[in-house]
Amino acid sequence: MVHERASAPGDSGAGTPPPARLAIRCQGVTKVYGQGTAAVRALRGVDVDVYLGELLMLEGPSGAGKTTLISIMAGLTQRDGGQCEVLGRDFAQMSPQETTRFRGNNIGFVFQALYLIPSLSATENAAIPLLIAHTRRAQALRQAAARLEDLGFDARMRNALPTELSGGQKQRVAIARAMVHEPRVIVCDEPTSALDGKTGHRVMELLRKVALEENRALVVVTHDERVLGFADRIARMEDGKVRRIDTPTSLSTG
Amino acid sequence: MIRIALKMLLSDRAKYGALLFGIAFTSFLVSFAASYFAGMMTQGCALISENPGVNVWVIDPAVRSVDLTIDMPASALGRVRSVPGVSSAVPLTLASTDLRFPDGRFQPVQVIAVDDATLVGMPPLRDRAGLPLLRVTGSVVVDDGGSIGKLLTPVHPKDTWPMEHSGAHSGEEARTRHLRRGDEVLANDLLVRVAGVSDGLPRYPPRPILFTTRSTAFQILPPERHRMTFVLVQAAVGVDANKLAASIEAATGFRARSSKDFSTDTVLWTLAHSEDTGDAVTMLSIAVLVGFGVTGVMMFLFTSENMKYYALFAAMGANMRQSMGMILAQTGLCALLGTGLGLGLCILAGQLFSHAGFPFLLAWFAPLAGVVAVFVVSFAAAGLAAWLLSRMQPASFLEGR
Repeated sequence: MVHERASAPGDSGAGTPPPARLAIRCQGVTKVYGQGTAAVRALRGVDVDVYLGELLMLEGPSGAGKTTLISIMAGLTQRDGGQCEVLGRDFAQMSPQETTRFRGNNIGFVFQALYLIPSLSATENAAIPLLIAHTRRAQALRQAAARLEDLGFDARMRNALPTELSGGQKQRVAIARAMVHEPRVIVCDEPTSALDGKTGHRVMELLRKVALEENRALVVVTHDERVLGFADRIARMEDGKVRRIDTPTSLSTG
Repeated sequence: MIRIALKMLLSDRAKYGALLFGIAFTSFLVSFAASYFAGMMTQGCALISENPGVNVWVIDPAVRSVDLTIDMPASALGRVRSVPGVSSAVPLTLASTDLRFPDGRFQPVQVIAVDDATLVGMPPLRDRAGLPLLRVTGSVVVDDGGSIGKLLTPVHPKDTWPMEHSGAHSGEEARTRHLRRGDEVLANDLLVRVAGVSDGLPRYPPRPILFTTRSTAFQILPPERHRMTFVLVQAAVGVDANKLAASIEAATGFRARSSKDFSTDTVLWTLAHSEDTGDAVTMLSIAVLVGFGVTGVMMFLFTSENMKYYALFAAMGANMRQSMGMILAQTGLCALLGTGLGLGLCILAGQLFSHAGFPFLLAWFAPLAGVVAVFVVSFAAAGLAAWLLSRMQPASFLEGR
């Protein structure tokens, strides 16, 4: 089941926009870590939708539940309550094997710590999702190399180990890895936190360009106020809830 | 993914090297311990191995080991010779006495007294010319029997007993050399002349040996009612040793064992009764357990250190089977290479040990023990890591938990 809405993200309402397809719908999502007096209520009923072709940023202080929310959206963590559908499927209704397979096919990740494997070249790192999906090695490497080339990597950089790359280049490898298997949803956990302002800007431009041009849904967790302008919508989280949803325009005028 | 797993393994050279070292160490330790033990057991059967021409050993019915014997009456020889299928039967006597060297030192030795006529039971001599001399009354052949520095005689006549002018009086050690043909020593206070030095197999436990004829031995040894420890039987052509042994037992009432069975009896008896064996097994077991611990812990640490990458793979869609395949590929490669290195090292060390006269026999089960030990410990460690993997939530590292 794919829901549609009347206006596209980032569109201020001018003209008649095509209906945007719903990628993720979360309603009343709750999550509690621990038990008894040690229990921490990470999410207290989150309602948020993410559309294909949209970049939604989750912003808020530490402990607001941003990472927990994207973990649930990506099927890495089971929610305790509420509803959450991703591309029309509910992880709660899937077996662990189905969840893993669905994640492998439909979701890309850019992690805060990147987790590039130090012993693999940039191309091999980017090819990992394809190799996991049993794509033949040569083809996987070809596709990964092409994706890296799109992101501005020359042959030397493609063969370089992560230790030989700059922070921005590593981030681009992580982006290529998140997209190489053409997922419909990409989740990014603080992708610019370790980068200087200029590099962070470039990375966000790139993410926005390569992700949204191909009609994907992009959910980005960030603390970085400087990159909020790249979002179509910004979900403000606090104490495990989405307090309000803004657009960059409303932020600048507000 | 297997290639990625192997790259992950091989790229971290320090850890990989340490891992290989640990596994090679375990493999070496286990196979070396097994070989050393096999060597010890084989040396326990040295007397049997030294006499490949003997098909059947006839002994007192209570004897279970070549090393713990009681003599039979002299009539046993005739009774054995009368059994059909026996080609030849000769007596062999084991005893012990003290040797006294010209400088006054003494040394307990094992006496092996062979048949005067055939000299069956004599190991090869370093100098073949000495063998006929053995038939001269009062002649002996000496053998280290795996011991070191126990058959020494002084170099200088001044150091001979009673040593009026020797350095020994001033507390200095006299210079000595190994006994050789022509030297004289006292055996149970009877002067005997060394006819040669033999190249017998080392014994377990090591002991110096005095080979001589039974007639000379009876002059050296105190009189006893019975002085025949074994009857060494050669089977007639076409007669099976086991069947002949059974016939001898039936006909004489003595115990008769084929060489192979007697060796097995000896090994089993040693395993069951020798305190040395227990001590050796305990020490070697401790060493092996240390090796196990080192390898197991290192394998486990390596896998658990990579757990974040396995979590990453799981987040990206890798199933348990793929992750396990990667862990097993890493474990398998380490185990294979480490085992190979360890076995190679074991063979080299074995060569050195053998040349130095220590017990070492690389029997078929020694490398197998090494391989099995390494694979058991490696895959146990991998199994433990897999258990952690199965309990791991892919989100845990994303959330910093």
